[in-house]
Amino acid sequence: MTVSVNFLATMVSIALAVTLVSPFILLILWFRDWRKGRLW
Amino acid sequence: MNPVNSAILDPTVGWGILAAFSVLWVWLGWFWGRRAKELDDYVLAGRRVGLALGTATAMATWVTSNTTMAAPQLAYQMGIWGMLGYSLGSVGLILFAPLARRIRALMPGGFTSGDFIRLRYGKTAWRVFLAISLFYGLGWLISLGMAGGILINALTGIDYRLGMSVILAICVLYTMLGGLRAVIGTDFIQTLLILFGIIVLAWLAIDAVGFERMHEAVVEERPELLNLLMPAAIMFLFNNLLFGVGEIFHSNVWWSRAFAFDKGVGFKAYLTAGIFWMPIPVVAGFIALAAPALDLNVPAPDMVGPLVAANLLGVGGAILVFIVVFSALASSLDSLLAATSDLVLQDIYRGHLQPQATAEELRRAARWVVVGLGLVAWLLCLPRLTSLAALLHFTGAFVASTIWPIAAGLYWRSTNPTGAMAAMLLGTAIGLAAYFLIGFYVAALVSALVSMCIVLASTWLAPRDFDWSSLNERRY
Repeated sequence: MTVSVNFLATMVSIALAVTLVSPFILLILWFRDWRKGRLW
Repeated sequence: MNPVNSAILDPTVGWGILAAFSVLWVWLGWFWGRRAKELDDYVLAGRRVGLALGTATAMATWVTSNTTMAAPQLAYQMGIWGMLGYSLGSVGLILFAPLARRIRALMPGGFTSGDFIRLRYGKTAWRVFLAISLFYGLGWLISLGMAGGILINALTGIDYRLGMSVILAICVLYTMLGGLRAVIGTDFIQTLLILFGIIVLAWLAIDAVGFERMHEAVVEERPELLNLLMPAAIMFLFNNLLFGVGEIFHSNVWWSRAFAFDKGVGFKAYLTAGIFWMPIPVVAGFIALAAPALDLNVPAPDMVGPLVAANLLGVGGAILVFIVVFSALASSLDSLLAATSDLVLQDIYRGHLQPQATAEELRRAARWVVVGLGLVAWLLCLPRLTSLAALLHFTGAFVASTIWPIAAGLYWRSTNPTGAMAAMLLGTAIGLAAYFLIGFYVAALVSALVSMCIVLASTWLAPRDFDWSSLNERRY
């Protein structure tokens, strides 16, 4: 059972979208911790 | 193919990048570590790490060179299931989230995973666990050191031994200077670099080759890579899931963070890190499927990622891969050095050699343990013994045997020491037999299954009433 090109494209696109968002969330979390003096 | 002739980057550029990042990491290590006078400050970053740094360090540590180099390798060897199987490594991080919360609650003054096994199951099981954990730690260190040498060699033509030595030396230096604070601080920057790098690489690969062309060439030349019913790959998927869970549940890399995170941070940090980590092997791995379309000659499967990137993107791509894998390597190497040296310091040095050692003496010894561990790893990396994935999966039989003794030991009063020890020993032995008789893709699966049966049977047949408060040991 061979996967279609659409399956491959969808799988990679979803993965890419989540990876694209994650650095921004990390930066927001960092800023929030830093403002509260709770980085470490 | 001669790596020197096929190298995309000039060795001078490679040395330049290495030098720039080395100066940055070492300076940050010194800067963050200069105030770490107490043992807790040095080995556990003061036990007050927040959510942002906690999430990033869990992500960065789990995104190793094995992810950025072995994910393309697995995609090249096992196709779709190779990538998805690797992604399931994130399940370990997600499942560890509740464990991290429980570890922090039960052992607020704990230092290592060895502390838990010693207090929960006694000294004999502790020694069995230490043997497994140290073997795994060294195996992972070697695979990381080797990955560093291979990457530098593939991209710049710099000799494998020289590149490997430089990467190890840099990580040893800044970990020694700054302890866990340096490790966690640099992990945050390294996470951002890794994420930025793999996003750019994936984006450009899609732009340059496209899914249609990639799919067409793979169907023509290696159709099995796109087959959803590839039996070995499906076994690999489950095996990798259990391998990842075993690695995280037992390793002091993750336990030391559970102790270091501020109250209430552990659960959220591991859960978020797991969710963000899950797509990374797909994003980093799928570019290997472009190899048939590009008609690339791949001399060794573990070089497919850098070769595709360099072929597609030229010098810029090679520099980007270099930075991504260097960051991934450093973020895991430093964590592993710090956590394994804690294990050696607390469980071997203090636990077996100097039981009366004070916190101050341990603080001084900690630096030398990091250096010693780096030296041992360097010696074992010198001969390039095996492929990265083979070495990595060999340890699967060991670590998967610890999943049940740890999980059951944290939640069930009735699990007994004999059952836990037998589960680790027999799980490892039968898992290793499966590794040699069947294949690497079943070692962790068999080991975890055997371990589970033994823990469940022994808990049911000989229950014990464990007192949770005995885990709250205050040493210093």
